[in-house]
Amino acid sequence: MAEYSCLVVEDSPMMRQLLVFALSRVKSLRVTEADDGVDALRKLASARYDIIVTDINMPIMDGLKLVKRVRSDPVHKETPIVIITTEGSQEDRQRALQLGANAYITKPIQAPQVISTVKELLRIE
Amino acid sequence: MANDPREKTDEPGRDLRSERDEVLQRFTRGSSFARELLQDYEALEQRVRSLEGENAKLRATIEADHAVRDLLKKIETLELEKAELVSRFNRAEALQSNVSSRMSEAEHEFSNLANLFVASSQLSSSLSPRAVTRRIKEILAQLVGAEAYAMYLVNADGTELVPIASEGVPGGKLGPVRVAGSELGKVFESGEARVNEETNSNHGSPERPAAVLPLEIDERYVGVIAIFSTLAQKPRFSTVDFELFRLLGRQAAVALVGASLFMRAEHKLPGLEAFLDLSV
Repeated sequence: MAEYSCLVVEDSPMMRQLLVFALSRVKSLRVTEADDGVDALRKLASARYDIIVTDINMPIMDGLKLVKRVRSDPVHKETPIVIITTEGSQEDRQRALQLGANAYITKPIQAPQVISTVKELLRIE
Repeated sequence: MANDPREKTDEPGRDLRSERDEVLQRFTRGSSFARELLQDYEALEQRVRSLEGENAKLRATIEADHAVRDLLKKIETLELEKAELVSRFNRAEALQSNVSSRMSEAEHEFSNLANLFVASSQLSSSLSPRAVTRRIKEILAQLVGAEAYAMYLVNADGTELVPIASEGVPGGKLGPVRVAGSELGKVFESGEARVNEETNSNHGSPERPAAVLPLEIDERYVGVIAIFSTLAQKPRFSTVDFELFRLLGRQAAVALVGASLFMRAEHKLPGLEAFLDLSV
């Protein structure tokens, strides 16, 4: 079975724990955690990830800046990015998708929704 | 010259003539009879051929009837098999749908349990009042989807609920609330959570909170959490939210008070002697 790696970027330990908990249900997925955008870039520089799941509101570097940086990185410019945020308006969604995010999930999150979105983007059965 | 009757002539005698005529007649009759016989024979032969043809046709028809009967039987058997297969397929489909629905329910339950587990473990993983308060707020914001909320503790004489933490409400709008006669006070006194089901939870306000839940320590109520409104994308509370309310009601105040006592004790852990006389 193919192995996929996922980088979860979330400053809240609780949400990180919840996301890791949910994504660990996907058998072929190896999950790595990052505290914020800067930590995520550090991890992206040293390893290749198949998908990134990131919060928007984070200190130091927020999720949207991270999306921009990832899209300009030749190694990860095609990597699917899932945005998770409390902002549920259509404009926020449009903005995130225009910057290069592939999917947009609003909080409070439901584990099945996160799992199905990640599976769909990775084309896992 | 006169003919002598005794003179010989080529002409037959009268007897012979009649005999000849008779033979000729017989021959003619025989010949006619033979012709008739031949005609009859031919007619019979034709009739036999015709009957043989009819017979062959009848045989073919009977055979065809047999074949049709066989085919009908086969069709009947196939129809039965088809019905059985369709029924089995429907049963399998129903089973599959049932399994999918149960899988989906199980996933949903797992998700709910994960939320409760994470909330509970977060509440009990810090002994700093500030960190505990932050985690309570995080549970409300991230797991319940609360947009504006406040946590109140009762004052020493039990007359007022005093806000100790809030989010999404202008500071000036929040102040102590009298227990007597207020909606928050009713929940505090009764110990029963109240959810406003008249309007969507994202349309609540400090005057008409979407939900109020009591905070309990050791069967005593010490305060309330008021969720004034939820995020726009969260118009109503779900089953897991009510579970989270129960969990917060029982664990939030315990964690907060525990952390306060620990801070007051200057982060000193109690000595072993504190646990020796538990009589358990």
